[in-house]
Amino acid sequence: MFRFIASFFTKLIQMMLQVLSSKKHIIHNLLSIYVKTSGGQTVCLDIDPKCDVSHIKKLVAPQINLQPDELKIIFAGKELADDYVIEECDLGQQSILHVVKIKSPKLNEVFRCSTPKANLSPLTESLDYSTFSSEDENTEKPLERKAHFYVYCPNCKGLKQGKLRVRCHFCKSGAFTVHSDPQDWSHVLQPKQITGTCENDPEYCQELLQNCEPTFAEFYFKCSEHVSLGECDQAVPLDLIRPNLRHIPCLACLDVPETMFTFPCQKDHIACLDCFRSYCLSKLLERQFWQHPEHGYTLACPNGCLNSFIREIHHFRLLDDDNYDRYQRFATEEFVLRSGGLLCPQPGCGMGILAEPDCTRITCQQCKYVFCRNCLQGFHIGPCDPVEPSLDAQGNCDVDLNCPVVEDPSRTTIKVITKPCPSCKTPTERDGGCMHMICTRSGCQFHWCWVCQTEWTRECMADHWFA
Amino acid sequence: MANIAAQRIKREFKEVIKSEEVAKCAIKLELVDDNYTELRGEIAGPPDTAYEGGNFLLEIKVPETYPFNPPKVRFMTRIWHPNISSVTGAICLDILKDQWAAAMTLRTVLLSLQALLSAAEPDDPQDAVVARQYKENLEMFKLTARHWTNVYAGGPNVNPECDEKIKRLIDMGIEEHQARVALSSYNWDLERATEQLFS
Repeated sequence: MFRFIASFFTKLIQMMLQVLSSKKHIIHNLLSIYVKTSGGQTVCLDIDPKCDVSHIKKLVAPQINLQPDELKIIFAGKELADDYVIEECDLGQQSILHVVKIKSPKLNEVFRCSTPKANLSPLTESLDYSTFSSEDENTEKPLERKAHFYVYCPNCKGLKQGKLRVRCHFCKSGAFTVHSDPQDWSHVLQPKQITGTCENDPEYCQELLQNCEPTFAEFYFKCSEHVSLGECDQAVPLDLIRPNLRHIPCLACLDVPETMFTFPCQKDHIACLDCFRSYCLSKLLERQFWQHPEHGYTLACPNGCLNSFIREIHHFRLLDDDNYDRYQRFATEEFVLRSGGLLCPQPGCGMGILAEPDCTRITCQQCKYVFCRNCLQGFHIGPCDPVEPSLDAQGNCDVDLNCPVVEDPSRTTIKVITKPCPSCKTPTERDGGCMHMICTRSGCQFHWCWVCQTEWTRECMADHWFA
Repeated sequence: MANIAAQRIKREFKEVIKSEEVAKCAIKLELVDDNYTELRGEIAGPPDTAYEGGNFLLEIKVPETYPFNPPKVRFMTRIWHPNISSVTGAICLDILKDQWAAAMTLRTVLLSLQALLSAAEPDDPQDAVVARQYKENLEMFKLTARHWTNVYAGGPNVNPECDEKIKRLIDMGIEEHQARVALSSYNWDLERATEQLFS
């Protein structure tokens, strides 16, 4: 009797477990993926993320009239081994797998045995963030092995987590396997760093290159937070935004953020993303960005480290839309001025104009205002009006503000209280201290004398340093 | 933006309070308002200088963009020093201007100012008169600085000779501080100071 009850209960429990596990099975969302063949055919599959790669081969093979063991599945620069579970391969909805036919199955069997398993694991598995940062061996390995990349996604319009993908540098086909994993950011960001084999049409690529250089991998990034919109759907890698694995405090607020902005300096200065935004905003509003000849309108480490300019200017996408627009406008203005151009003086216009050096009559193409290049007033024949309001050395204004000319009052104020830097012509206000002025405009830093309005000299120092 | 500044000052304030310099009474920091935008600093005159024994009050204003821009610091206690204005208390120190770095703190600012009191930079002056005296007559400079420390910062070194000369000018109807400035600027030459005051 007791035995009967016991076996009854065991059966009951087993049945309940079965129900539960089958329910669990149903809950799993199906993953919808595309499999692309070398012939250009695309097969759409709905698969269970728990199944392995051999299962996919079985599903695909009959559709393209081949045997499963004749197939090779390639994803993100790696051939996926048969026993790999799809879930672990960082595949998103509508991801594209590439399937190619193995040239000679027998040969491949031999080749495969000699290949270490690591080389058959997906790229995202073999890469974790420690390979992408200059960390010493002693630091703890992160528990989560998946690489975290951050990108600016033009589709989602914001900072998102990204995923690294590979294609052939020449024919742009995703059916491409890398010979080695990238070891740091330079391998990924700079072209032609890692070689590989194009599996799409090896002869075509070889021919294209006339066998004079190997086939190179091209790395690119996709946003992992929206469903892939196809092969053209790319995102810009923001390589300076990284997970803060070593728990470094932010240099501004001293908190330890999870995600950090790493300044490209030798000393590992980092900021949390909020402080980075504040830093960009405060420097933007002060026009303290630098016009770097290679990287563009950018910033350096706030601790003043040498050669620490931010190279990828998409990092400034962290600013909100209004301020990013402002960033782009300032950058354009700076570029126009530095190229010897000028900005339309009409209030509300500010169009950038590149004119012939000897042309003094400038017509703005945007607002049709015609003005004199030298004094930026309405165009006139003959010399510019020399009477300009200015301050004497004691700071007294020597002009009658009630003059009959109707002018923009803020422009009048600027004229009255400022003097132009002798080098870059930026209107400068002196709010105290000595007569030794240092231009605060980024990239100018000209030393000049408030009294003489020329370069600061020892004579100025001896004669009128303080008054 | 102001949040970061306030949050950061809060932490720095705690750092200063716990620091060993506070324990040794070398520096002090107090809050002036509740939102951490204005503070009052105090530094002790470094030993073996003309400022020894004096306590100097500082006005510290924290900009909204702190720590990406430096705090605005000014001496509230009158001081005779080549890099500090004897009139306004404005300070000429590179780290408070273009050499500021976001990693610097109120503690490092206070310690740098203390260091400035021990080692003046007469070639980069804020006060031309003081700087000239420093370069041309160092003994006279030290005497003057010690006297100012005694009068304005509570320093121990009383100089009866200086006090006597100032008293003579006060008797002529000159305000005390004005008299002291004139005498200090003319190397305590009573005749020249008087001449300048009545010209």
